[in-house]
Amino acid sequence: MASVRTGAAVTALALYAVFASDDAFAVGIPAGTTIDNTASVSYSVGTVTATSTSNTTSVTVAEILDVVVTVQTPSVPVAPGSTQQVIRYRVTNTGNGPETFHLVMNDAIAGDQFDPVAASPSIYLDTDGNGTLGAADAAYVAGTNDPALAADGFVTVFVVNSIPNSVIDGNIGRSSLSADARTGSGAPGTVYAGQGAAGTDAVVGTTGAIALGTGEYLVQGVSIVAAKSQAVVDQFGGTTPVPGARINYTIAVSATGTGSATGVIFADNIPANTTYVPGTLTLNNVALTDGADADAGAFETTPVTRVSVQLGTLTQASGVQTVRFAVRINN
Amino acid sequence: MTQGIRNFIGAAALIACSFASPTFAQSPGCISLKSVAEVEKDVVDAKGQKSVTLVPATTVVPGTVVTWTVTADNVCKQPSNQVTINNAIPEHMTYVANSATGVGADITYSLDGKSFGTADQLTVQESGAARKARSDEYKHIRWVFKSALAPGAQAVARFRAVLN
Repeated sequence: MASVRTGAAVTALALYAVFASDDAFAVGIPAGTTIDNTASVSYSVGTVTATSTSNTTSVTVAEILDVVVTVQTPSVPVAPGSTQQVIRYRVTNTGNGPETFHLVMNDAIAGDQFDPVAASPSIYLDTDGNGTLGAADAAYVAGTNDPALAADGFVTVFVVNSIPNSVIDGNIGRSSLSADARTGSGAPGTVYAGQGAAGTDAVVGTTGAIALGTGEYLVQGVSIVAAKSQAVVDQFGGTTPVPGARINYTIAVSATGTGSATGVIFADNIPANTTYVPGTLTLNNVALTDGADADAGAFETTPVTRVSVQLGTLTQASGVQTVRFAVRINN
Repeated sequence: MTQGIRNFIGAAALIACSFASPTFAQSPGCISLKSVAEVEKDVVDAKGQKSVTLVPATTVVPGTVVTWTVTADNVCKQPSNQVTINNAIPEHMTYVANSATGVGADITYSLDGKSFGTADQLTVQESGAARKARSDEYKHIRWVFKSALAPGAQAVARFRAVLN
């Protein structure tokens, strides 16, 4: 029975995602600002001119509730079965007054090939501000540490997932983050009277004071396949599998997918009722010695009788590795 | 006529006017000026007809258009001449193009509060060349009412600006 074993870890390509553009600026002037206006008039009666001023009108700027969520790592490469995988988001207060935001993550999103599994906890705030999830970053607990952002302020948020084992190279799993203003959200123009900064009204802006960003995990997996064929050559110049006939085996080993498989070893047991023909083991048409020495191939007798060839690290670009060996049908 | 007589006649005219109008050229004066700030509100009547009405502006959000209506009432018994209303565009706000109105008035604008001109007359220096000023660059508006304002009559000036 032929088998291919990979040692160590299957490593994904170290592709780091392009950072999403995250220009998000707050709207207008600060909530609570008062705008005064006074008109003046000049006129003449007869030959004398005079001036006068009007009352001063005063208008107060209300607070607009607006928020934007941007995905900073839109596509995160992951290996099947990996844990603590992170999508990074930025939540920005694009309103004109200080506001606190409520965060929710969701990994059951339609249209992808798998659901990332939420870690526990699944949302972290970038407390140390270094852009990487680390021990200093606080787990988010709704209602306890909702981020408080000034107008134009932002916070970096990590969403953390595990990847199921049963995914294959190229599968995508989406995981999203939404943020909404604690003062209120809803239809643009909705007024939360007196609940804005400095006691002004808070008014929902064009974003509805709620925003959603969706990132994805992209599985980068490599799999190894081995295709075996045989040709029988008998002592009489024919192809009948009689005792004494030789069977020439050819095995084509290749890697498909993304990433690399390290420590690949091909091994094949010598079939019952046959005997290995010494010196017939080759890799890519180069002869290998039967003994356990520095070259890649060996004919082993314990614990089982088999040939084995070390193929090293294979990627899809490595191409087909061809192993050949021969056995003779026993008398 | 000698200068002395000319002065005497001038002085007499002054005295006559002051006796006749005790409030002349002193606060509160002959023009009572009022300003009202309003915003537009959509209303739908019982028949489902939509219309827009103006309501007092108290708190506004950025992006809101505010309409100021300035009224000048002549409270004296003499007509007022060259009635000129001035209004600066409020801070943090931008003038809405072509929104200044005033029946019977010549309207001019200013970028610096000192020199006023029509839209075609105002220029801005940019990259070493002069170009026509945009209406969002206007900082002041002036209404000069061409006819005298009769006693008890009202002149109205109006303009709109959007909150930045």
